[in-house]
Amino acid sequence: MRGLRVAVPKGAIFDDALAALESAGMPVGVLREDGRRLLYRAEGAEFIVSRPSDVPVFVEHGAADVGIVGKDVLDEQQPNVVELRDLGTGACRMILAAPRAKVDEVRRSIDHAEVVRVATKFPNIARRYFEGMGRQAEIIALHGSIELAPLVGLADAVVDLTATGTTLRENDLDIMDDISSSTARLIANRGSYRLRHHEVAALVEAMQREGERVG
Amino acid sequence: MREKTPRKFSTTPGTRDVLPPESTRLLDAQAKVLERFRLHGFREVITPALEYSEVIEEPKLRDSAFKLFNPDNQMLLLRPEVTTPVARLVAQRLRNSPPPYKLSYSLPVYRRTGVGRGQSAEFRQAGVEAVGSASPGEDAATIALLVDVLRTLGLRPGTDFALVLGQAAFYRGYLRGAAPDAASEVLAALADKDLVRVDEVSRTLRREVAAIVREIPRLVGPAADGSVMERAARYAGENMEATAALENLGRILEHLQAIGPLDGVMLDFGLIGRHDYYTGAVYEVYASGLGFTVANGGRYDNLLRRFGEPMPATGFAISLERLISVLPEEEPAPLVVLVGASVEATRTAAGLRDSGVPVLHLAEDLPPAQAAEYARSVDAGWVCYPAPDGVKLAAADGGEAEILPAEAVAGRVIS
Repeated sequence: MRGLRVAVPKGAIFDDALAALESAGMPVGVLREDGRRLLYRAEGAEFIVSRPSDVPVFVEHGAADVGIVGKDVLDEQQPNVVELRDLGTGACRMILAAPRAKVDEVRRSIDHAEVVRVATKFPNIARRYFEGMGRQAEIIALHGSIELAPLVGLADAVVDLTATGTTLRENDLDIMDDISSSTARLIANRGSYRLRHHEVAALVEAMQREGERVG
Repeated sequence: MREKTPRKFSTTPGTRDVLPPESTRLLDAQAKVLERFRLHGFREVITPALEYSEVIEEPKLRDSAFKLFNPDNQMLLLRPEVTTPVARLVAQRLRNSPPPYKLSYSLPVYRRTGVGRGQSAEFRQAGVEAVGSASPGEDAATIALLVDVLRTLGLRPGTDFALVLGQAAFYRGYLRGAAPDAASEVLAALADKDLVRVDEVSRTLRREVAAIVREIPRLVGPAADGSVMERAARYAGENMEATAALENLGRILEHLQAIGPLDGVMLDFGLIGRHDYYTGAVYEVYASGLGFTVANGGRYDNLLRRFGEPMPATGFAISLERLISVLPEEEPAPLVVLVGASVEATRTAAGLRDSGVPVLHLAEDLPPAQAAEYARSVDAGWVCYPAPDGVKLAAADGGEAEILPAEAVAGRVIS
C-alpha cells in the first residue's frame, strides 16, 4: 500500500506546513528541491501541492488522505472532512473593514439595517456574518485585490483576511469588526481517517507532541 | 462542422444518462442486492418521488431537496432519501399488522447540494428498514445483511471495505452526565467533524472531564481488538446512559461474532451519524480508493413519533452508483450477434435462444467485417451466420469463422 498522500497548500502557509510535517517525521525534503512539480513521491509518503482553496477539495474526494489548510478556507467551503488538529501557525483574522473616511457612514448603514455592499473572497463567511447580525449585505465576490474595491466605489466595505494589517493600512482601510480568527489545520478524508487510522493517528500524535514541545 | 446542440437538450447539471455497460452493471448489482434483501425476509416497497415538504424534518435534508409546488400551492419535495418516507409509510399504512416491519427499497433520490462537488443530483439508494424492534439483535442483523450484500458482490471485508461502527448515545450520554452545559456545543462540533472545536470547548471543563471529552471522539480501532471497548468502558465510568449505550454496542458485537469474524469492522466512538435522527448504533461503509461512504445506516428510535406511531427502528442505505464504482471488473455477459434478413435466420435465432444462448438478431444482410464492428459496439463476443448444417460462428475481435451445429454454440460461447 502506498504511503499517506498529503495535500500541501502553496503560498503563505507553505513553509509552516512543511515545518509541521517535517517535525512529525514526514519526508518533506523532496518538496524543497524543485518548486515546479505538482506531485512528489518520497519514502512512505506522497505530497501534492495545490492552491489553498483546493486542498479541501482534494481531501474531501479522497484524492489526498490528509491536508493542511487555513481555518478560513474550511469556514468558507464547509467541506465534509475531519478536522484533526490546530497547528497554531499561519494565524490571521477575518475582518470587516472600510475606508477610514467612510467607517462612520458604513456603521450607520449597518445600524439602520440598510443594505451594505461588501467585496470579499469569502462570500459564504460574509453572508453568514451579516445574516448572524440580522443585517443584509450585497456580496460582491472577487478573487484578489479586495482592498481595491472600496477605493474605486465597487463596494462600501470589505470582508477579508489579514495577518499584520499592513495592506489595510496602506490602502487607508480601518478595521470595523473581527469576524473570526484562523490558523492552519490538519484535515483528513473521512474514509482515510478510518481505513488508515493507524497512520493518520500517528501523524496527529507526532504533531501534537511537537506542538507541545515548542509551545 | 456539426451544428451545436441547443443547451436545453443536454441533461441538467448533476444528472446524466446512464449507458451500457454501466447501466447493466448498475441494474445487475441492484438485482443481486435485492435478492440478498429478500433472503433476509425484507420485502420491497415503492414510495412516491414527491412528498409533502413537511414529511422531511431534518434541516440538512430539507435544504438539500429540490422543491416544487402542486396546484394547491403546497410545497413538495423530491425525496432526498428514503428512510423518512418509509417511516411515514409504516405509520400510515401498516399500523394494523404486527411489528416488526422489515421493508426494503431501491429508489432514486434527489439532492441539489453536492452538485459540483463530485456528487450527483440524482442517485440510487438501495436499503432496508426494520421498524418496531429495539433489540440489538435487529441492529446486528441489518449490519450483517449489509456485510452479506457487499461480500456477495465480491468485496472482501477488511481488504476492500471497512464497516465503521459507532454508538450515538454513548458520547451524548457521557456529555449529558459530565458536562451538561457544554454538551450541545460539543455535539454540534462533532457533527461537523471538527475535533479542533471539540478541544476548544473542552478547555472550559474540569481537567479529568476535558480529557475524556477530547479522547472519546478519537477512540477508533478494530472491533476485534477488545481494548477499544475496554477503554470506552473506562471513560463511561459510572455514567448510566453511556454504560447502557456501551452494553448495547457489546450485544451487537456478540451477535455479529456469532455469524463470523469481525474482520473489517472498526469501532469509532466519534461517529454519531450525519443526521440528528440517529439515536443508537450508527455505521458507515468505506471502500478502499473511494473518499465517500458507500453505505450508511443506524438506529433512529425517535423518527416514527413524528408520524404519530412512536416505534424504534434501524436500517441502512447503499449508494448504488458508488458501490458499482468499487466492484471488481466483470466480463460482459455472453452475447451472440446473429446476422441475416432471411426467415432461416429468424428460425436459427429462436433455436439458439431455446438452447440457452443470448442472441441479438440483426435482421440485415451485413458482411462479416461490418457485423463484427457492430458486435463490438454492443459488447457482444461473437458473430454468427446461419449455415446449411448449423451456423457459421466467429469471435467478434477477429479470428477464423467455423461451421458448427447449432446445438454446439451454447458450449462454445457460455463459459
